[in-house]
Amino acid sequence: MNDHDPTPACDLAGDSPQNLSRRRFLQTSAGVATGALVIGMGIPLQPARAAGAAQMAPGTNVPAFLEIRPDNRVRFLSPFNEGGQGIFTGMAQIVGEELDADPESFIVENAPAGHDYLVVFGKMRITGGSFSTRSSYTTMRKLGALARNMLLQAAATRMNAPIGELTTEPGHVIHKSTGQKIAYGDLAKDALDLPVPDPKSVTLKDPKDFRWIRQPLKRLDVPEKSTGKAIYAMDCKVEGMLHAAVQHAPRLGLKPGVVRNLDEVKAMKGVHSVHKLDGAVAVVAERFWVAKLGADALQVDWQEPSAAEKAKIRYMPADFSTEAFTRQLMETKGDGKEAETHGDLKSAFASAGKTVSATYHSQYVHHAQLEPASTLARFNADGTLDIWLPNQAPEQFQAQIAKTAGLKLEQVNIHSPILGGFFGRHFLYPGANPYPQAVALSKATGRPVKVIWTREQEFLRDPLRPMAAVRFRGALDASGMPVAIEAISACEGPAESLNGHNPNKVDSNAVEGLTGKAYAIPNRRIAQVYVKNPTSLAYWRSVGHSMNDFLYEGFLDEMADAGGKDPYALRLKLLEGNDRLTTLLKAVGELSGGWKRGPFTAPDGSRRARGVAMASPFGSEAAAIAEVSLNAAGKVVVHDVWEAIDPGSIVNPGIIKLQAMSAATLGVSQVLMEQVVYKNGEPEARNYDLYPILPPDRAPRIHVKVVESGAQMGGIGEPPLPAVPAAIANAVSTLTGKRVRSMPLDKLSLAT
Amino acid sequence: MQLYVNGQMVEVNSDPDTPLLWVIRDELGMTGTKFGCGLAQCGACSVMLDGKIVRSCVTPLSSVGDAQVTTIEAIEADPVGQRVVEKWIAHQVPQCGYCQSGQVMAATALLKENAKPSRDEIAAAMVNLCRCGTYNVINDAMLDLAGLGANKGETL
Amino acid sequence: MKKILFTLIAIVLVVAAGLSWYVTRKPASPFDAVAAVATPSPDLIAKGKYIARAADCVACHSVPGGKPFAGGLKMGTPLGAIYTTNITPDPKTGIGKYTLADFDRAVRHGVAANGHRLYPAMPYPSYSKMSDADVRALYAYFTHEVAPAAVADKPSEIPSPWNIRWPIALWNLVFAPDTPYQPVKTQDAEWNRGAYLVQGPGHCGSCHTPRGAAFNEKAMDQGGKLYLSGALLDGWYAPSLRNDPNTGIGRWREADIYAFLKNGRNGHGVVFGSMLDAYNNSTQFLTDADLHAIAHYLKSLPGDPARDGKPWAYSATAVADLAPAKRSSVPGAQTFAAKCSFCHQPDGKGQSPWIPALAGSTSSLVPDAASQINIVLNGSGRVMANGMPDSYRMPPYRAQLSDKQVAQVLSFVRSAWGNRGGPVTAKAVADLRKKTDPASPQVIVLQMR
Ligand code: FES
Ligand code: FES
Repeated sequence: MNDHDPTPACDLAGDSPQNLSRRRFLQTSAGVATGALVIGMGIPLQPARAAGAAQMAPGTNVPAFLEIRPDNRVRFLSPFNEGGQGIFTGMAQIVGEELDADPESFIVENAPAGHDYLVVFGKMRITGGSFSTRSSYTTMRKLGALARNMLLQAAATRMNAPIGELTTEPGHVIHKSTGQKIAYGDLAKDALDLPVPDPKSVTLKDPKDFRWIRQPLKRLDVPEKSTGKAIYAMDCKVEGMLHAAVQHAPRLGLKPGVVRNLDEVKAMKGVHSVHKLDGAVAVVAERFWVAKLGADALQVDWQEPSAAEKAKIRYMPADFSTEAFTRQLMETKGDGKEAETHGDLKSAFASAGKTVSATYHSQYVHHAQLEPASTLARFNADGTLDIWLPNQAPEQFQAQIAKTAGLKLEQVNIHSPILGGFFGRHFLYPGANPYPQAVALSKATGRPVKVIWTREQEFLRDPLRPMAAVRFRGALDASGMPVAIEAISACEGPAESLNGHNPNKVDSNAVEGLTGKAYAIPNRRIAQVYVKNPTSLAYWRSVGHSMNDFLYEGFLDEMADAGGKDPYALRLKLLEGNDRLTTLLKAVGELSGGWKRGPFTAPDGSRRARGVAMASPFGSEAAAIAEVSLNAAGKVVVHDVWEAIDPGSIVNPGIIKLQAMSAATLGVSQVLMEQVVYKNGEPEARNYDLYPILPPDRAPRIHVKVVESGAQMGGIGEPPLPAVPAAIANAVSTLTGKRVRSMPLDKLSLAT
Repeated sequence: MQLYVNGQMVEVNSDPDTPLLWVIRDELGMTGTKFGCGLAQCGACSVMLDGKIVRSCVTPLSSVGDAQVTTIEAIEADPVGQRVVEKWIAHQVPQCGYCQSGQVMAATALLKENAKPSRDEIAAAMVNLCRCGTYNVINDAMLDLAGLGANKGETL
Repeated sequence: MKKILFTLIAIVLVVAAGLSWYVTRKPASPFDAVAAVATPSPDLIAKGKYIARAADCVACHSVPGGKPFAGGLKMGTPLGAIYTTNITPDPKTGIGKYTLADFDRAVRHGVAANGHRLYPAMPYPSYSKMSDADVRALYAYFTHEVAPAAVADKPSEIPSPWNIRWPIALWNLVFAPDTPYQPVKTQDAEWNRGAYLVQGPGHCGSCHTPRGAAFNEKAMDQGGKLYLSGALLDGWYAPSLRNDPNTGIGRWREADIYAFLKNGRNGHGVVFGSMLDAYNNSTQFLTDADLHAIAHYLKSLPGDPARDGKPWAYSATAVADLAPAKRSSVPGAQTFAAKCSFCHQPDGKGQSPWIPALAGSTSSLVPDAASQINIVLNGSGRVMANGMPDSYRMPPYRAQLSDKQVAQVLSFVRSAWGNRGGPVTAKAVADLRKKTDPASPQVIVLQMR
């Protein structure tokens, strides 16, 4: 237990440097004697091979996904990574349903990079956008059905019975007339030799026969997450590994110049070496703590980039402040590029009985996932690179890492451990991932290196959820009903920040949540004015919706008040004829014990009020009601959040409920307290001390009702978030009589 | 320096000001205890010293002395810890799971001090952060463990 | 503040009565007719550098990321902010044209080469005790080793008429000594060396000696009972450096003082607030002999039981208040348990020497809570000892705790474990919250070259 490196944990999860063949290694690691029978190994099907002429459609190559062990346990390689959203369990339910294998018998891991796993719309692979289940639902069911079909074929031969007479029960093939019964585990080897049938040849179950789909099955990953056994990227280790910590340039774009105390840091006990990297200096040591102290100690003269270099990168100027930038966004003029129009805005305003206008704004926020970023890189003797890192898109990382390291695609083995929270943090953001550092350091030292970003370094490089200022104006008719709304957002969207701004296009991520609203306001215009940010931008749980529904729903309440309407009644009215959303809004009303706006006096004597808001994110629908009061310090207390969520159709109601509670809580956190503040080009907060996230004593009770309308399946990881901040803000506006037009509420003086 | 970890004596050679967290993770190779902030802000690194909850990222090795360190790796060897884990599974508490080693340790330490804590005591003791927002479910599991039944929030 | 204004007005009136000849004259310097050595020896420069360390010139005359000694540090005064000046040998913006005598007049008498009076934010009343030899060495260092930096001084923000400088000459007449340190014959050489460093270059009294209505230090040496008896400055309460067991260093041994100045920490505490800068940039660079001399001298300053009260004794009463069952009913206890106890421990004893005790700490016993409020709101900067950053830092809590919560948790701390610093009001917290900013979590090293 002392000096030597203990169990190389990540070698257990991945492949070993000792050149056990992957197959043999898995057999050994599973504690299985020779002759283990497997369907497929889930070996990283080398893209070189996979790219051949006989390439199968993604999601159909059964052996790339499934291994059935002699003990009937099913190892499944998931195209989607588990970060708390329950996708591993959902996948087991979906595949297990059609395979007819108990999801509880599944061992699910994240699949390596490879063509077979590009199952999102049959062409890409990301864990994000709440796409996982809805984009692959049918594909994954088919995969299970194909595997079952192969097992049936193998059994037919073994039992010498016509395939049509065979049926399955969980984990077994049955021949009723002869009473024969063979476990999947026994059939696996035979089945492996069979070609994968044509996906069109299998029929899927009638949903009414579902055994596991729609059931609140327990999550597969909960036991190991409750006992500290789950392995995250942060926990990965391999033989001979060194640790590295970095000191990032205080501002993006600066380059390391002279390190004044280079010799002193090099001479620190336990320090292996010091390296200048792109925008950072790293200290490599035998142990992380030593590396961390060394990195803190470095006295680096940071250099400004040249004008030419500045033009190529996102450069953070020394005088950037969020306060000034917010003002700049609020004062941005122009009609912008249209994202959505309907009707005739001009005449609607011309003939309006009353008009309302207001400018709202949002704030930068951190992902603040509890696991800071880390990457472990190891170059192998054969020139290949093994790399362990938190990521939401293995193939994209593989391509980028191959480029960075000067390797061929197939020389890069990506390992994607489960994520200690992500919320959009682990995409390929330039400058925001430690992998280039790990690759460079591993190359330079000739040893495997694990780079861990301390929370301080993480917050310095975390790309932010964009902020926006939205100029709203609305027109009401003589009866006080909204007849027109215009929203012009000054914002840079995350997609255009990453892929380049196209002056002819609106970044839909920047305006979603202003667009796509279901309310029957006949005349509307939603537009974007592009304003480039010096900060790096990112996707954040529910992306544009995370702020835009807050902005829109707040203004909708303003219009309701201007027209003398109750905001709940107004929404019902604007949704007339929309059964799905009327049902949903009524459901949340009922869940909350019947709509009442307040302010009212609660049994404990506190003055309280409620707010309502809705959102239509990622193919799902959500409606939320929140109840708030102010405490003695004038800060908002959220007592209860009631949310009704309709993801169309569902796989696991238990997971959905918990995801909804999780997303709602993040919404509460954002609206109450989160805001990234930059001063002099640097973020003020480098840890949770100055960037507090919702602590337990401010978490409201959250009540969730899942409404299954039967509509097309929508997402679930993100959709429950956007309605919540808006419902809370609307409640606060009602309570205080002061209109809330920005987040976070903790920064506003609300005391009346 | 000698340390008592999970009932075993181990020899460690980190500097005395090294946080116990990194001794546990790097030198002893036990990664169940998590690094979240390194600043006593989140609780992901919680372990027990003689049954009391501490945050190992702000516990210098020199402070440990001959106290018994209990990490999540040994949680099921403790009857109270075992009950906590059972309820954590029953209530399906973890999401990403990263904070949960610390949550389970905090729960166990509380219940070791008082097997029947009140709601207030639960609130007072369960102060670790969870970015995934499992607070409602943690509370349910705790009320269940304390024999107080479920609260008004949603449970499964 | 009102008091200060009246005093200043009074001074203006006195001056109007006709002493203008005095206030515009340049004081004499022993170097007036002396030419500085054109090429000083490396030894002299090194000695000057050491004096610059002892006098901590860099802490005020540099800003993080700026050129060494180019000035620009903002200093708040009741009348408006002033900025420290460029003291590099740049001929246009710095002191490049200063003769040795000019330099001496600035350092020891507070008069710039052009005759204008420096604000006494520059501790020339203390520096006036520096020896001729040290001034000469300091001059050699500043003119021959410090790199010239062309950085123009920022004008002060003190509005007219308060920005008229000549009244300071009168202030000097009353409050600033102008003779170098004279050894006390009855004391040994070590004591005298310590006294010289403390009173002269170290200018400890600037922070630790209470000030009078005109901003004057109430005593400039051990002759005054209030010398180094503790004072409030810039949002920090600098405690007594006398033998007061509660509010001073009465419980410290000489070796503890030495360790504190050398390592930034000892069994009683860790440097924070303004002392962090003094430690990071100055005291740790002094020789062991000098640090021992300082310790020796300080231990000779008697305490004042009338001011200090009965010596503190530990009591474990608060520990029970921190049990989960009790916490919510004792104001501040829950906050302490959730935010403070993991580092400072439920018994208040901290984790010596890395994390300081709150039980019996000077800041828990002094009546003025400014330091504690400040550090809770803003955290502390990083202690950089011998090139190595500290492993633990105090985080700022301004974003997490309300004024009331800070007041309650500090009131709890200041009455727990035998502490008796007294309660803290939410208003005091609100005032400091407005005036202060959080400390940087990064290691800040002010470079001298
Ligand atoms: S890592 Fe120790 S409290 Fe966050
Ligand atoms: S479960 Fe993810 S941080 Fe708590």
